[in-house]
Order: sequence, then structure tokens, then C-alpha cells
Amino acid sequence: MDVILEYQGQLLQGTWVTIQLAIFSLMFSVGFGLLGAWAKLSKNLVAQKTAAGYTTIVRGVPDLVLILLVFFGGQELANSIGAVTGLWEYAEISQFAAGVATIGVVFGGYMTETFRGAILSIPKGQIEAGVACGMNRVLIFRRIIGPQMVRYALPGFSNNWLVQIKSTALVSVIGLQDVVYNGFVAGRSTRLLFTFMFAVLMIYLLLTAISDLALRWLDRKYSKGIVVRPDDG
Amino acid sequence: MSETSHDQAALEVVDLHKSFAEVEVIRGVSLQAHKGDVISILGASGSGKSTFLRCINLLEIPTAGEVFIAGEKIRMRNGKSGNYEPEDIHQVERLRARLGMVFQSFNLWSHMTVIENVIEAPVHVLKIPKAEAVEQGEALLKKVGIYDRKDYYPAQLSGGQQQRVAIARGLAMRPEVMLFDEPTSALDPELVGEVLKVMRDLAEEGRTMLVVTHEMSFARDVSSNVVFLHEGQIEEQGEPQQMFSNPNSDRFRQFLSRTMQ
Repeated sequence: MDVILEYQGQLLQGTWVTIQLAIFSLMFSVGFGLLGAWAKLSKNLVAQKTAAGYTTIVRGVPDLVLILLVFFGGQELANSIGAVTGLWEYAEISQFAAGVATIGVVFGGYMTETFRGAILSIPKGQIEAGVACGMNRVLIFRRIIGPQMVRYALPGFSNNWLVQIKSTALVSVIGLQDVVYNGFVAGRSTRLLFTFMFAVLMIYLLLTAISDLALRWLDRKYSKGIVVRPDDG
Repeated sequence: MSETSHDQAALEVVDLHKSFAEVEVIRGVSLQAHKGDVISILGASGSGKSTFLRCINLLEIPTAGEVFIAGEKIRMRNGKSGNYEPEDIHQVERLRARLGMVFQSFNLWSHMTVIENVIEAPVHVLKIPKAEAVEQGEALLKKVGIYDRKDYYPAQLSGGQQQRVAIARGLAMRPEVMLFDEPTSALDPELVGEVLKVMRDLAEEGRTMLVVTHEMSFARDVSSNVVFLHEGQIEEQGEPQQMFSNPNSDRFRQFLSRTMQ
């Protein structure tokens, strides 16, 4: 325990990086998810195909491969562009940005499917009722589709989010000092890997437990008017 | 058809056509509803009566024809791909707001309470102040006899109660015309009466109503006009007394004998 207290600064710093990574990448994934769901449901063929390609790729490739590709591949690409154009000598891609972008894009693919399914679960007649009252598309989305979509999307969203928090651990391979990286370094230098990795495990459990509380609160808030059957309470 | 006649009618439809893919479902239907008219639209299933109603507020886009609401014509044009389409979606939205629509499957918004359902469009579409909308909404809920359930969610109500809320929601738009699309067809038989009673009250109040229905007693006793559609065309129309006691067309006679045994 003393050892952990000695390294608490690193662990806390790492935890903070993990939290930021999770939150920023969540914002990206929700954004991409909404965009993707909209594209998949739109009548525009180009949008449909683009979204289909997007989800096929990101759901079919390991996150780790994409992270390495974005970070190292992106670095190389940026440098070659610099060399060809002569605009810069050396460019460095931020590990944090690469992590946020990759995880955000990958989970945007999962969110796309979650949101698409949620929108499709809203009875079409309710949207028609809005149209018949003279509502425009924005109003229909804001007042009718949006609130109900949240409710229908929550179970899938919760799943995605928990996996997404855990996926942030992958950024340690590109040297970003998240909680895994810092815990691993501390464990190796003290030769107490088990102790430190156990501490990291507890930190993840704490983060997911807090998330769970927040998600339950959301679920209560958006379950208004939904008849709860015994098996989905 | 002179321009002035459009001004007199609350609703006028001129030579409406609608095709789905190759099949022409509505084949030139014209109709006028003046203030206070209650027009029942009858027809066998597949006669196009629901489609016709849905074309009036452009839930279905007609393939040809004109619709006037309180004298204002919904402007249509032939689009790039040659499709007949509305010229100005804002005009369509504005005119839709002047029609109240009641659906077969109620279509209440399930995440809103009864009173929230009723005030939703008045507040957000008509921009009526919320307090005023609530006051008006509560009065309407009293009228349809469901005020005591105003804070319930739709899923907590019976079909008949939901449909009465849906009627109040339509009335809350202060519409020129109320459109009813088979309002009792999805109801258990014992719940049909409560909805018909509300509709009868509205008719007596002088509301302008277009009712697609299978309820022959409503068509005969309540409506001022009856339109009988057959294969997308008006086969017979007139006053209910005359039509029911002495139908002109064989098809309507057959229809009556099938439905009123």
C-alpha cells in the first residue's frame, strides 16, 4: 500500500488522462454515430454507401491496428507531405489527439448501429403525427425522435461506452501516459507489477461503476411513458 | 371552377390523382367541404379512401391535382426528376397546421403525458404561450372527457382514451378541418362508442370534418354528406338519407348490403 501511495501522483495523473481520453472520444463517437445513423437512414445513396463503408471498416478491424496506423502511419504521412512540399521539416502527431480520434471513429461505428436501431424503433406513426401538425424536420427530431431515441439507444449505448472506456487502455502502446502506462511503468520499476496492475484494475472498476450510475440516472429520466415489462426493468 | 368558390370552401380538392409505382390508387377525385360539413368517406378496403385523406395534408404526395385549404392553394410543381412535388415545404407545413389529423392507430407521442401531447404543436408550431396552450388544452380534454387523466402517459390509457386524446390534440391546432382516418378501426368494439360520441359532439358543434370510416351508423346519422369511393374514383355521393335509403349505383347498394347485415 505504501508503495502505491508513493506513486499515487503518477496513477492519478494517468487516471486523469484516461478520463479525458474517454470523454473526448465519447464526444467524437456520439457525433460520428449520429452522423452515421442519419446517413444510413437518409435517402441519399452516396451518404448511405459512405456510412455502410465506414461501419464495415471500423467494425471489422482491430482497434489496436487502427491506433498504430493513425499514429505511426499518420506521422510518416505528415513527414512525407512536409518533405515534398517543403512546408515543414518535422511534424509530430499528438498521442492524445491520435488516441481520441481513433477511438472516437471506431466507436462512432458502433454508435451508428445503436442510434440507427433506436431511431427505427420509434413508431413511424408518431413521426407522421408530428408531420401532420405542421412540424418541420428539426422540430420533429428535437421533440419526438431525439428524446425517444435516447431511451431506445441507452442499452446499446451503455454497452458501447463501457467497452470504449476500456479501449482507451490501448493508447499506452503509442506511449500516451494513461493509467495503464503509468501503472505498468511503476510496477516494473518497483517490481510489484501485480500490486500496481491490481490498483489499475480497481481504478477502471471505479470508473465503470460511476458510469453505470450516470447511465441508470439517464435511463430513469428517459423512460417516462414507457411501460416497463417485468423483464426489462 | 371560379376563384371565388375556393374562398368559400374550408377545403377543396380538385382532380386528385395518386399512384404508387405503376398502380393508380386515386384516379381523379374532387371534393369540397364547406364550414360545418361532415363528410363521411366510405369504400371497401383498397378503394383508396385513406390514401385520399393522406393526400390532403400531403402525408402522401399526390401525383396530380390541387388542394386548397381555406382558399389557399398548396403550390405544387414538377420537380427535377419529373415528380409532382410541393414547391415550398414551409407553405405545406403552415397549411398542415391548419388541419387536425386523427389516425387509426392514435399515434400519440409516447414519451409525453396527455396534456403534453395536446399542447406540443400549439406551443412549438403555432407559438402559443405555454400557459394559454395549457388552459386551452385542459378545456379540450374536458370536452373529450379525459381531463382526469391529463398527467398519464399514453401507454397507461385504453385505446378509446388514447383516441380521444388524439382528437383533443387535433382540435388544439384550432383547425379549419379535422381529418379522421378510420378513427375507430383499431379499437375494441366496446370502446368504439366513446370515440364516436366525441365525434358526434364535434359534428353538432359545427366542426368541419372529413371522416374515413367503416361506421355506417355514423355515416348515416351524423354526416351531412357521404362520398363512396370505388377503385380510386367517386362512385356515388350525396346526402346520407337519400343515399342509404335509395342508392343510385349498384356498387354502393352491394357495399351497403355487405356492411349492414
